[in-house]
Amino acid sequence: MDAVQAIRELAELSSQIESAVVLSADGSVLASTHEDPTRAAALASSTLELVGAAFELNAQPQEVTRVEVELEDGALFVLRDGGRTIAATTGSQPTSGLVVYDLRTCLQGIEEPEQKKKKRSAIRKPKDGVE
Amino acid sequence: MRRLIRLAVLIGLAIWAWRRFAGPSGPQQRAGVSYADGSSIVLEPGSAGFERLASIARTALRQ
Repeated sequence: MDAVQAIRELAELSSQIESAVVLSADGSVLASTHEDPTRAAALASSTLELVGAAFELNAQPQEVTRVEVELEDGALFVLRDGGRTIAATTGSQPTSGLVVYDLRTCLQGIEEPEQKKKKRSAIRKPKDGVE
Repeated sequence: MRRLIRLAVLIGLAIWAWRRFAGPSGPQQRAGVSYADGSSIVLEPGSAGFERLASIARTALRQ
C-alpha cells in the first residue's frame, strides 16, 4: 500500500483523527488528508518543529519516536518509524492509545517502492515444480 | 424492597455528586515524548518544555 492509500484508509477508519500527514525521511510530504498542499505543508512544518523541540528536551541525543501533546481544544500526535513520520491532529480528549495504534498501523502499512517491486516480481515468477 | 431502592438512589446520587464536585475539572493537558532508547518523559503544564511543545501544537491545531 502506498502512503496516499494508507492515509486515506486511516481517515476512513479513525473517527478521532481530524487531519494527518505522512512525511518521508527528508521531511517532504508523502501524503496528507488535506487537499490543500499549503495546509499539508503547514502541518508538516509544525510536525518537524515539534520533533526538533522534543529532541532538544533530552539531555542525551536520542531519536524521537513519539510525541503526544494534548490541549484543551485538541491534540497533536507524532510517530516515527523506519525513517518515516506520521502526524495527526484530533479533537479534545482523544483516546490516545487508539489514535497511536491507528497511526502506527498506517505507518507500518506503507511499503517501500523496492518492497513493492519484490512483491510484484514474486507474483509474476512461477513456482518451481508447478506447471 | 423500599429500603433497597432508597439505597440504590442514594448511591447513585453520591456517585454523581462526587464526579460533579470532586472529580477532575476540565480537560487535562499533558505532553509526552518517547525516544528510540525506550526512555520517555511526561511534561506537566507550566513547565518550559510543555509550553514549548504546546505552542507548536496550538499552531498545528489552528491550521
